[in-house]
Amino acid sequence: MSSSFSRHSRAAKLAAAALALAAFSCQRVISVDLNNANPQMVTEAIVTDQPGPYTVSLSTSGNYFTPSLYFPPVTHAFVTIADNLGVTDTLKEILPGTYHTSVLHGGAGRTYNLRVVAEGKEYDAISTMPPRVPIDTLVALHSRESDGDQVYNLYVIFKDPPEPGNYYRMKLRVSVPISPDSIDGRRYHLYNDKLTNGNEAAVRIRMRNYFQPGDTVWVDLLSIDKTSYDYFNTLNNVLTSDRSPTSLAPANPNTNLTNGALGYFAAFSVDSKMIILQ
Amino acid sequence: MHSHAHSDGPPAGTRILLLLPLIASLCLDVSGGATAQEKFTLSGTIKNAENGEALIGAYVVVKELKNTGASSNAYGFFSLTIPGGHYTLLVQYLGFRVLADSIDLTRDRTFIFALTPQPITVGEVVVSGERSDKNVTSTVMSSNKLEMREVKSIPVLLGEKDILKTIQLLPGVQSAGEGNTGYYARGGGLDQNLILLDEAPIYNPSHALGYLSVFNSDAIKDVTLITGGIPAEYGGRLSSVLDIRTNDGNMKDYGASGGVGLLAARLTLQGPIVKDEGSFMISGRRTYADIFLKLSSDTTINRTSLYFYDLNAKANYTLGEKDRIYLSGYLGKDNLDYPDVIGLRWGNTTATARWNHVFGDQFFSNTTVTFSDYQYTNIVGASTSQYEITSGIKDVNGKIDLQYFMNVTSMFKFGVNAIYHTFMPGSVTAGPTSSANSVSLEHRYALENAAYLAHEFEPLPGFKINYGLRASMFSLMGPGHTLTYDEYGDIIDTAGFGSGKVIKTYASFEPRFSATYLIDEVSSVKGSYTRTAQYLHLLSNSTTANPSDLWVPSSNNVKPQYADQVAVGYYRNFAENEFESSVELYYKNMMNLIDYKNGADLQINPTVESLLVSGRGWSYGAEFLIRKRAGRLSGWVGYTWSKTQEQFPLINRGAVFPARQDRTHDISVVTIYDLSATWNFSAVWVYNTGNAVTFPAGNYWIDNRLVPYYTERNGYRMPAYHRLDLSATWKLGERSNLNFSIYNAYDRMNAYAIYFRQNRTDPTKTEAVQITLFPIIPSITYNFNY
Repeated sequence: MSSSFSRHSRAAKLAAAALALAAFSCQRVISVDLNNANPQMVTEAIVTDQPGPYTVSLSTSGNYFTPSLYFPPVTHAFVTIADNLGVTDTLKEILPGTYHTSVLHGGAGRTYNLRVVAEGKEYDAISTMPPRVPIDTLVALHSRESDGDQVYNLYVIFKDPPEPGNYYRMKLRVSVPISPDSIDGRRYHLYNDKLTNGNEAAVRIRMRNYFQPGDTVWVDLLSIDKTSYDYFNTLNNVLTSDRSPTSLAPANPNTNLTNGALGYFAAFSVDSKMIILQ
Repeated sequence: MHSHAHSDGPPAGTRILLLLPLIASLCLDVSGGATAQEKFTLSGTIKNAENGEALIGAYVVVKELKNTGASSNAYGFFSLTIPGGHYTLLVQYLGFRVLADSIDLTRDRTFIFALTPQPITVGEVVVSGERSDKNVTSTVMSSNKLEMREVKSIPVLLGEKDILKTIQLLPGVQSAGEGNTGYYARGGGLDQNLILLDEAPIYNPSHALGYLSVFNSDAIKDVTLITGGIPAEYGGRLSSVLDIRTNDGNMKDYGASGGVGLLAARLTLQGPIVKDEGSFMISGRRTYADIFLKLSSDTTINRTSLYFYDLNAKANYTLGEKDRIYLSGYLGKDNLDYPDVIGLRWGNTTATARWNHVFGDQFFSNTTVTFSDYQYTNIVGASTSQYEITSGIKDVNGKIDLQYFMNVTSMFKFGVNAIYHTFMPGSVTAGPTSSANSVSLEHRYALENAAYLAHEFEPLPGFKINYGLRASMFSLMGPGHTLTYDEYGDIIDTAGFGSGKVIKTYASFEPRFSATYLIDEVSSVKGSYTRTAQYLHLLSNSTTANPSDLWVPSSNNVKPQYADQVAVGYYRNFAENEFESSVELYYKNMMNLIDYKNGADLQINPTVESLLVSGRGWSYGAEFLIRKRAGRLSGWVGYTWSKTQEQFPLINRGAVFPARQDRTHDISVVTIYDLSATWNFSAVWVYNTGNAVTFPAGNYWIDNRLVPYYTERNGYRMPAYHRLDLSATWKLGERSNLNFSIYNAYDRMNAYAIYFRQNRTDPTKTEAVQITLFPIIPSITYNFNY
């Protein structure tokens, strides 16, 4: 589902809840007994068109209700990233579970191969870095919702390239902490050109309550490949399941990593712009 | 039995033609034997004396001939061929006075029997003759007829009477969710229910995003639900048939009735076109909450709209003794707008034209042409950049159904049916300044043909057999293209087809069999076997009925679904048929069920078929029912024990998992009590095991977000669901009443959904949160009838 569409389809469910039922429905925290799965390796790996080093983080999954700031890192792994021009970079572990490249220079159009060998298993992933798409303008419009909430509607405006198959992720960097409980804090802002190929895109990001006039917001427009988009989109589904209680059975995000690993490997190009809220 | 054939074979029509001579020759054989000496046919129609409405399933019993009788069909017609003589006929129908008539049968005769409704009065002794033992004696099983009186008495959410919620109280039927009109029949999927309104299929039976059905109870005369032993005249869906017939309209007098509830206002007008020859009925319903939104000064709120309406209209005319024509139509629309966020419109349109003709006295025919249309529109974006996404399905359907009443122990049903489907999988309509590009996915066309024959006869006294065969064929037609995919879902081949060219044909033989053995006057055992085929599939990204649900045809990539069901049952009536009871056991096997790859994008996707995965499912269970249809206290207690599982090679690593609708225990208690001429009370209590759901078995950090980790599909259970609803109706004189109802009377906090999230204050902690949709909700409705 294209991002713009899925957002509206999700909005439809939200509206179903809001308009027909908000008057009645209520929520409460309950206790649930959950099984504990065996720990799995979790990989977060990126290559960008910005200067390196690029980071690969390896950790493990834990029990659902066990509170933890981080789960045990995977140390002493053998990690390489190779591009299709013949450069292979063997990453160095600079902190437990955090690995850095040393020679690799990310560039659009190149295809990257990640290989991780850890604890007797081997994991691979491939990602291709799309060309950078520049942000033309950022526009932030202030409005007040009918429930009294202050909202900034931030529009990220850019020109989608003429060939079809462009995928985007928008990342906000802000000075104000956004609660991880809020939908804005969890959801990835994604967009694709399935219905809008070649047109000027004005992607709206609704920012509730967190901002004051004078606050600074940086927006990164990440051009990502289809497999990365698919990962973040299916990750969104499990992160925002409360917004669509009637959605189909949740499942682990579709990853490009082999061998049952969790996480992703994404090569992307970035364009950034800043706006001061009025 | 796997008798279906998959073929690219001859075009659709050929096989049907091959089958027709077979049916014709069978008919000739039997009619040869029917011309026995000294036998005469008595036939006719059974009507309500007050308004002329034909009565469906009324019974004519010949007092002198033990176990001999006939029941009226969906148009009130009956036919009975017996030896000549002097007889007393008893004509009976639930809630009506028994009509006794003496006749001399020395030639074929035609009658119109008019029955008078029996008013409910306190202290009256109920005549035992009015109760039928049909549930024990007929070959029909796994079938329930809802009395509209029950539908109107049973309390429902916000006082809006709803047949789709009432049928969920029957054994073998499970609700898709709190307050939802979607239902599962014997473990089958939401799309496996054939829902017919005056014989026209309804593709999306829900209003208000699934919280109400499109059926306005005021317009409905008869509702029959069949979950097993599905007769040969029905086809196209695997698991159930819901056959809904609307009122014909009052043949005697003009009348107006209606009501005002918390959600909607209703009005029905009816009356004769020509007294006793033709009548009309028109019934409308509309929600009115949006009128209050308009009064708001907030520009977002007063531009918000949330309403639906529907309109049922019907007219019929009797052309002499042998012919009657009916025209009926339905139009319904939902509108949901929240400025700059969403704009949804959806609705069904149906039209039905029918012609009843009686050949001789023993041959009843009905010729039907129906049109069905479902359209969904989503308006995306704001002002000038706006665009519309639409999808839908359209059917033109012609059928001829014949019933031949050979003699008291033998009856034939046969017919042919052809449906031309047009699928509109999706299009985007964008203006010049819109952010989207206009695009339209290829329409798809299909011809669905069927021919059937069923014969019910009594080879030995007390032993009845109904055997039949439905031959169905589905052809995906051009113009259009087909795509072929490899195992990764990448396109490896494309083929184009011209207009009218057959792209892919599937044909199936669907045997239907049921038998009844009468143990004694009050008890019987029954058994049935049916195979059903389904060529249309519903793609949905929701577990409940949703307007964006998309119907798609079987194709080179999507196989038809098949089901085989075996059921056996024991039926016993008590206290001179005052109480009916039954136990049924069933086993159902379903093939080629559809599910989706994770994250499947179902909208405006030309390669959507590559995202579907195919699997199988099976369901078995035991259903217990005790029912009291008549008297001051009526209602039923139903209990179902069942198990439903599914297996998909590409889901859950190929392991068997419980279906979402797998509910071990399901209990419904329905009671209706007429206290006095002015007060009527009813209560409903339901209990069911929670749905099978997927919960996480771990979590991990990605990008400063705690992400749940899943290991198995549907490995957990929601908490058990139970609820009590109460209703009281207070008659304000003859012509109007007030209904008070309470939904969820003991305020049970049922779990609608459970989701998992990071704690608000401590993001390193996670918690489970339960959403409860409806706590205790009282409502009041005013109804009138002039």
